[in-house]
Amino acid sequence: MSEYILQTKQLQKKYQTNMALDQVNITIKKGDIYGLIGQNGAGKTTLLRLITGLAFPTSGSISLFGKTYQHVHVEAQKRMGAVIEQPALFPHMSAYENLEVQRLQKGIPGKACIDKTLELVGLADVGNKKTKNFSLGMKQRLGLAIALLSDPELLVLDEPTNGLDPMAIVEMRELIKKLSREKGVTVIISSHILSELHQLATKFGFIHQGKLLQELSTKELNDQCRQHLRIKVDQPEKGATILEKELFTTDFEVMADGSLKLYHYLDDVRTVSGTLTKHGLIIEHLSLDGDSLENYFTKLIGGVENE
Amino acid sequence: MNNLLRAETYKLKRNKTFWVLLITMIGLSSFLHYLIVSDWWFMSGTPFDQAGLSELNALSVFMTPLYFNFVVSTLAGYYISVEFSQTRVIKNQIISGNKRSHIFMSKYILFSLAAYIVTVFIPVLTALLMVLFIKDGTVITSKSLTYLFSSYGIFTIGFFCFTALVFIIAILTEDSGKTILFTFLISVVMFIIDLLATKPWIQAFYEHTFYFHFKAAFQHRLATGEIWTLIVIGFGSLLLMLLLGMYMFNKKEIKS
Repeated sequence: MSEYILQTKQLQKKYQTNMALDQVNITIKKGDIYGLIGQNGAGKTTLLRLITGLAFPTSGSISLFGKTYQHVHVEAQKRMGAVIEQPALFPHMSAYENLEVQRLQKGIPGKACIDKTLELVGLADVGNKKTKNFSLGMKQRLGLAIALLSDPELLVLDEPTNGLDPMAIVEMRELIKKLSREKGVTVIISSHILSELHQLATKFGFIHQGKLLQELSTKELNDQCRQHLRIKVDQPEKGATILEKELFTTDFEVMADGSLKLYHYLDDVRTVSGTLTKHGLIIEHLSLDGDSLENYFTKLIGGVENE
Repeated sequence: MNNLLRAETYKLKRNKTFWVLLITMIGLSSFLHYLIVSDWWFMSGTPFDQAGLSELNALSVFMTPLYFNFVVSTLAGYYISVEFSQTRVIKNQIISGNKRSHIFMSKYILFSLAAYIVTVFIPVLTALLMVLFIKDGTVITSKSLTYLFSSYGIFTIGFFCFTALVFIIAILTEDSGKTILFTFLISVVMFIIDLLATKPWIQAFYEHTFYFHFKAAFQHRLATGEIWTLIVIGFGSLLLMLLLGMYMFNKKEIKS
């Protein structure tokens, strides 16, 4: 069986002349919290709609729980929960009644799961209040409760923090982390609030104009964003030895292009350059690099637009 | 499928439009039947008159296409379409792990039953109760019951075809107002066809649609062959529309 819970291959979605998704390949392992990052209209929701079976791909395939589909099958849908865009609720019903509808249509035996899920999302005390009178945050939480009712293995969340106040955002983030940690739920979550996803996701997919630009693990992303000195010298191996022996640091990497990424001595560039030149190395390039997540994303999509 | 039927029943029981229509129809039909049985209102030339059931004359009001067009399309708009547009709760149902064909059928069954209760069952029930309790009930004989049973049988087949059509319109338009409007327009077109059916082929076309059931069902003397033709056309139309509707629903992309 595949190690991946979700995998898309050459996934494409075309609306008349508009290519909403173009050859998208994403891979999500069990237990991952996959952050899908992109601007509004980048194709995040389209991708999530295809994964949940609300829409159908023009071409390509989706593998879910080890089985490959052209159109997502009901057996896969049974194992997932989703909130796509705004939560879908019956406004004239209470939170309990909304969950009862979902319980009935999912065929979940017993009503105990309703109270348990309301408790989990912090809506245990709302009583018979109709959802039309709920705040946006309460609606988001109820949407999440509907998705969680059947203990899904895969949770698909499309901009779940939209409209939430800072406190509610923190609560939502902690809840998703808890689900991942305690129940092993795999989560795919989209957002355009990068800092928000940065604190939550274990893997990132950057999507722009329907194309998946890059997939990175948290470590890889942190490395990309971490401030460092980028040094290019004529003899990289000797340079690495000098850093270790003379500057007493191992906090650096030798990159494939031969450059060195030094995470130390960020505010003492003169010492670094002086030591390297003292040992006869020619410095071809020396700069302070590293970005915030926002800058990284902006550069990434900027690079694509400039191509 | 059973899960879905239970979910649809739960939703229907909490649907305000259904209860408003039900209570309105109970009031309206009780009032009209009372006018007839208490001799305040005289109607003549109705199919019931011709069948010797003049005390049930008010039922003819509830058989006019305009009436059930209004009731059925209103229910479709505020029970079916609304799930695709305003609340978008159809998303939860699609992701719930049920086959789309089962979702389609469960919705159709509950919607049709609800429409039937409001549009047909309530007027007939109140008519029979009025006749039994306010009049002496002598018109209720085995012969009249046979007539009512066979007529309403044919009418019911046509009615379920009509609910299938309205149901498909509701799913396609995803809008309460458009559902009511398009249903009304189709009924107007069929009415005009019936009215202007001077050419034999137009007449033949009309008589081979389920709309003809509403006109023919209560004709006092229908030959056995005619009854069978109506049954075959009715069930054929129903099957065709449900298959077509299911196909379209299976291909439908759900907006988020």
